[in-house]
Amino acid sequence: MRRIGIWIAAGGLLLATAACGGSPGNGSGSGGGAKTQSLSVGAVAEPANLDFTSTEGAAIPQILLVNVYEGLVKLDQNGEIVPLLAEKWDVSGDRKTYTFTLRKNVKFSSGAPFTADDVVFSLGRVKTDWKLKIKTQLDVVDKVEKKDDSTAVVTLKRPSNGFLYAMTSRLGAMFSRTGVADLANKPVGTGPYVLGAWRRGDSIRLDANPSYWGTKPALSSVTMKYFKDATAMNNALLTGGIDVISSVQAPESLQQFADPNRFQTVEGTTNGEVVLSMNNGRPPFDDKKVRQAVRHAIDHKALLDTAWAGRGQLIGSMVPPTDPWYEDRTGDYPYDPAKAKELLGGKTYAVKMRIPNLPYAVSSAQVVKSQLAQVGINAEIEPLEFPARWLDQVFSKGDYDLSIINHVEPRDMGIFADKSYYFHYDNPEFGKLLASADEGTEQQQADDLKQAAKLLSDDAAADWLFLFPNLIVAKKGVTGLPKNAIAESFDFTALAKQ
Amino acid sequence: MRGRPNLALLTGGTLVGLVVLAAAVSFFWTPHDPTLVDAARKLREPGGGYLLGADKFGRDTFSQLMVGARTTLYVGVVAVGIAAVVGTPLGVVAGMTPRGWLSELIMRVNDLVFAFPALLLAVMLGAVYGPGTLTAMIAIGVATVPAFARVARAATLQVMVTDYILAARAAGRRRPAIAVRHVLPNIGSVLIVQASVSFAIAILAEAALSFLGFGTRPPIPSWGRMLQESQELLFSTPRLALWPGLAIALAVLGFNLLGDGLRDHLDPKLRRIRADG
Repeated sequence: MRRIGIWIAAGGLLLATAACGGSPGNGSGSGGGAKTQSLSVGAVAEPANLDFTSTEGAAIPQILLVNVYEGLVKLDQNGEIVPLLAEKWDVSGDRKTYTFTLRKNVKFSSGAPFTADDVVFSLGRVKTDWKLKIKTQLDVVDKVEKKDDSTAVVTLKRPSNGFLYAMTSRLGAMFSRTGVADLANKPVGTGPYVLGAWRRGDSIRLDANPSYWGTKPALSSVTMKYFKDATAMNNALLTGGIDVISSVQAPESLQQFADPNRFQTVEGTTNGEVVLSMNNGRPPFDDKKVRQAVRHAIDHKALLDTAWAGRGQLIGSMVPPTDPWYEDRTGDYPYDPAKAKELLGGKTYAVKMRIPNLPYAVSSAQVVKSQLAQVGINAEIEPLEFPARWLDQVFSKGDYDLSIINHVEPRDMGIFADKSYYFHYDNPEFGKLLASADEGTEQQQADDLKQAAKLLSDDAAADWLFLFPNLIVAKKGVTGLPKNAIAESFDFTALAKQ
Repeated sequence: MRGRPNLALLTGGTLVGLVVLAAAVSFFWTPHDPTLVDAARKLREPGGGYLLGADKFGRDTFSQLMVGARTTLYVGVVAVGIAAVVGTPLGVVAGMTPRGWLSELIMRVNDLVFAFPALLLAVMLGAVYGPGTLTAMIAIGVATVPAFARVARAATLQVMVTDYILAARAAGRRRPAIAVRHVLPNIGSVLIVQASVSFAIAILAEAALSFLGFGTRPPIPSWGRMLQESQELLFSTPRLALWPGLAIALAVLGFNLLGDGLRDHLDPKLRRIRADG
């Protein structure tokens, strides 16, 4: 009995130091000649399969888009739309017809040539075979036609500013007519990399595509290695198991990588708005005054400093600074607990804060709870397993008062226009602004969207805690890291190792 | 009592007493509000009213430890309570009917539950009913039932062959009366020792569950979650992991020593050997 006692006590200490453990990880095959260089990138969410046409979530396009699949156009680091498989495109005077001139001599990894037929096929498949919610973004497409082998014409039902942007996302990915039999396991694209090996539960390796049409990648292979735990990923970089952390999940730990002789840190922006969602569809947050009180009650600067080590940016509405119609809305609801109390009229509330069990959400929730308590709103935190349970309870069934989630999709302000979306925000004026923005000229689009963002903020449809930072840590000598994560993919194309 | 003082009992009692004291005092007083977030006090060094410093949210570590003791005891008491209340009667019934089908049934179901890891059960319950202190306590309690049932059965078997039970049966006492009047009082010491050891295991299980995010909900302080939250700061501010780790280790050690000490103290045979030797 006595011996068991000591072992159990030792267990407590082990638990205390478990964080130092972490697997050393396997080597990434570094070194060797320039031709055989490879790189290993750590990430947090492993895809369940490789088919982003039928499976929701950011994990699949993160590794496959731009790297394996390419679209006609892509987003560059500044958020500009630039040519990819299309050499150029012409827009008709009524802004309803897009004529794409395709690059010649492009081949799929299966060997099949890429032609206008594939454009017709791929965009047609979005309507017929895709199962994602976002596919409605291409509902505006009326028809897609082949003019000749290297010219494709897309006709829209009405002018749309969102169309070309949607084409930079996974919706615009080009598939081979003979390459969609087993999308979940065998992706066939035109990109600089092809699928090498997938060790389920561990990693996905992409190999350089020897017959790539453009600049061939500097690396022979890139491995995406998946970790369940932020500390394990940190330790893998410290011990050399990986070369890059694609997205730091524990920003306080960055001090470990402060040595400039060994590591480099890249900090940029993302499209991820960390939203404090309020259920506009039921009491107490169906009352605009209560929602406004919440926005006044939160000290956003203090929240960012404590919950996410001050990394990221404060935003006041659903627009990231990289969008052309961004306006600084952080001054709309300054931190003012007295004002918040006044708006609540001396009443107190008990609400449920049902959050995903993700690091940023659990951290932020504790700050939000503490600050809301100061003005008389008692929020009980309930972490739900993410994604399955959170999606079911909060996102689908809408059973929540408050929640916290990072909305990562680019240009996603439109989700507030959908009354059935889990915010249950309902203001017809907002929908009108978005519709007019999509159809209008570029200037009108910007004006309308600025107004829409202001309306969201004024109505306190939600609170915006902060803009999620793009934090990458890499070994010294790794180049071509994407500073801003504003597209859906982690772009491997420029990666190299000195 | 002659002979050497019971060192295990003394040390264990002191450690457990400290935990109980901290928990009791925390109901009335803590140096600071353990859940109040204050960016100005972020990672404050120990000293100046903050005995053990503050965490990344600016929350006082010492206050959190005190309230964490409460969580720990709460989980231990309820989990061990469930195990004792369910497990003991099962064990006694099985022990009093050693060759009956009932005994067989109880002990085989017992084996079944025993084979299922407690942590896995807790993680499963957490996934289905949502994580929380209550689900953690129930899971740990249910998983500890077999241990109690086995110990109770073994002790009952020993008691059942004694002369006084024989006498009671000869006098026509019914089985329930024998169980309550004669068996339970005589296996009590064994159960107390078992409770003490189970308590230690429950504390560790709660800490592990909170560490994994399946235990006590934030921001209610829990030693396990304090450890988890200090993970990312392990290299820059190791003290944040040190204190809750130490608290868990000492509390577990305390309950184990207490169990050992009580066993020595309550076992008349052992006591005699010690006194003579």
